[in-house]
Amino acid sequence: MALCKRELIRQVRQPSRVVASVATPMLIWLFIVGGFSKAVGEVGGGRSNLTAYTIPGMASLTVMFASIFAAISLIQDRHDGVLRAALVSPAPGWSIALSKIGAGSLLALIQALIVLLTLPLLGVELTPVGVLGAIAALACISCALIGLGLAMAWIVDSSQGFHGVMNALLMPMWLLSGAMFPVEEAAGWLRVVALLNPLTWAHTAMRNALGMSDELSPLIAWSVTLGFAVFGVMLGTWAISRSRQTS
Amino acid sequence: MSAIDLRDLRVVYRRKGEADRVALDGFSLEADNEMLALLGPNGSGKSTLMGVIAQTIRPESGEVIEPKSRCGLCVVFQTPALDALLTVRENLLIAGALHGIDRATTKVRIESISHELGIGDRLHEQVRHLSGGLARRADLARALVPHPSVLLLDEPTTGLDIDARRSFWESMSRVRARLGMTVLLATHLIDEAERAERVLMMREGHRVCLDTPEALRHSLGERVLRISVSDDAELEAVGSWLSGKGLMSHRVDRMLIVPDAGAEYLEGCPAVSAAFTLAPPSLEDVYSIRTHTGGTA
Repeated sequence: MALCKRELIRQVRQPSRVVASVATPMLIWLFIVGGFSKAVGEVGGGRSNLTAYTIPGMASLTVMFASIFAAISLIQDRHDGVLRAALVSPAPGWSIALSKIGAGSLLALIQALIVLLTLPLLGVELTPVGVLGAIAALACISCALIGLGLAMAWIVDSSQGFHGVMNALLMPMWLLSGAMFPVEEAAGWLRVVALLNPLTWAHTAMRNALGMSDELSPLIAWSVTLGFAVFGVMLGTWAISRSRQTS
Repeated sequence: MSAIDLRDLRVVYRRKGEADRVALDGFSLEADNEMLALLGPNGSGKSTLMGVIAQTIRPESGEVIEPKSRCGLCVVFQTPALDALLTVRENLLIAGALHGIDRATTKVRIESISHELGIGDRLHEQVRHLSGGLARRADLARALVPHPSVLLLDEPTTGLDIDARRSFWESMSRVRARLGMTVLLATHLIDEAERAERVLMMREGHRVCLDTPEALRHSLGERVLRISVSDDAELEAVGSWLSGKGLMSHRVDRMLIVPDAGAEYLEGCPAVSAAFTLAPPSLEDVYSIRTHTGGTA
């Protein structure tokens, strides 16, 4: 809990991180939707328009940026010596990893909620169950991405290198996840790639919860999304626990 | 049972495409309720030894016998391990939590330790606003909040000016007197090593001598003769001359050190541009001789 609290304090004292995480996806959304919404028309099986349909994708992009910031703090902690002090303490490696993932996810969710709350302004009616479902899906995304990020941050020693690797890995993953277009209506090869992408299923789970789409199976969507989160958390925990002994 | 008990340690660094590097070889050490200084040139194995004790480096063979749990061990690194965005108090609270100490106890300890270290009025400040010396003392407080039975200091005064160093050691002495603990200090500074009860000198992963500073100095006799020369030819000439007289000398760069020496040794010395010093032996003499020319404790 102490390490979780530390992450939250750090966030409060670096407001630029929040601005960067929320503003970038919203600008992307504004430019793309402004350019394409009239041309595309209805999407998601006729249950939404492009303007609203892309909001869950923007929420996940917000989570992605926040997750990258959360994971990159591991590199900073290592350089500052904070991580060394934690690793020689009796605190188990998994608790250090979980505190990073927990605090990072909480912060990512708060930022993503700001994005999701634009939905009523776009004509989408939010229900408490729908919002809770969307939060659950976003929590799974952030746990998975922070876990992946922690493992990557352990391998890549510089923040510049980490940014490069994460952008090369995560941006294509996000673009091919149905964040900006309905997977069902995509070209054959693109559809196959998208269906192999766990983020696609996380978006499906989120849109299902919000009543914005019924394209793919909710059961498969939730199973894959939960599995993705468990995989990410395990990977991040393993990386930090393993780092305790380096020789 | 000793607070630090290491037996026959061997640590080898293996990297692809590079020759294996033996960092510690057949290394044993016992220390308990004392301050032990580690002296040795870069690459002699000091940091590796610290890593093995802190359990961040796993030895290939040998035993690290721990009488107490990891709760009893803290490390002060070469640079402060504090979060610059957090206040000193927030950093110390985290240190307590990481060692499983309840918040109320941690708060009491923070108050007492911070006053002993002279940072009691800076607890509310973010670490990034502290001077180097204050940050160092805050980092020492971080390591002392858990009341460790073993404290590892890895060149803790690196980058500090003379006043800040003096202040650091005064604070350290006060806390040690109250808490009592085993301190292992890795340093390159002879005057810091002099503060220790015992000094361990290392070279190429081996311990070359281990004793009190006084005993180490006395191992060179009452006085040592230091002969500094300006070139290698003269060094060779003086070295040969000393050997011819049956005197043992140790070559350290362009200086010859003759243990247990007297002024009469200088009669007939062939040196032309040499500078001579005859003085009681210092720990630096012991260090120069032992870590440059070898010898096994």
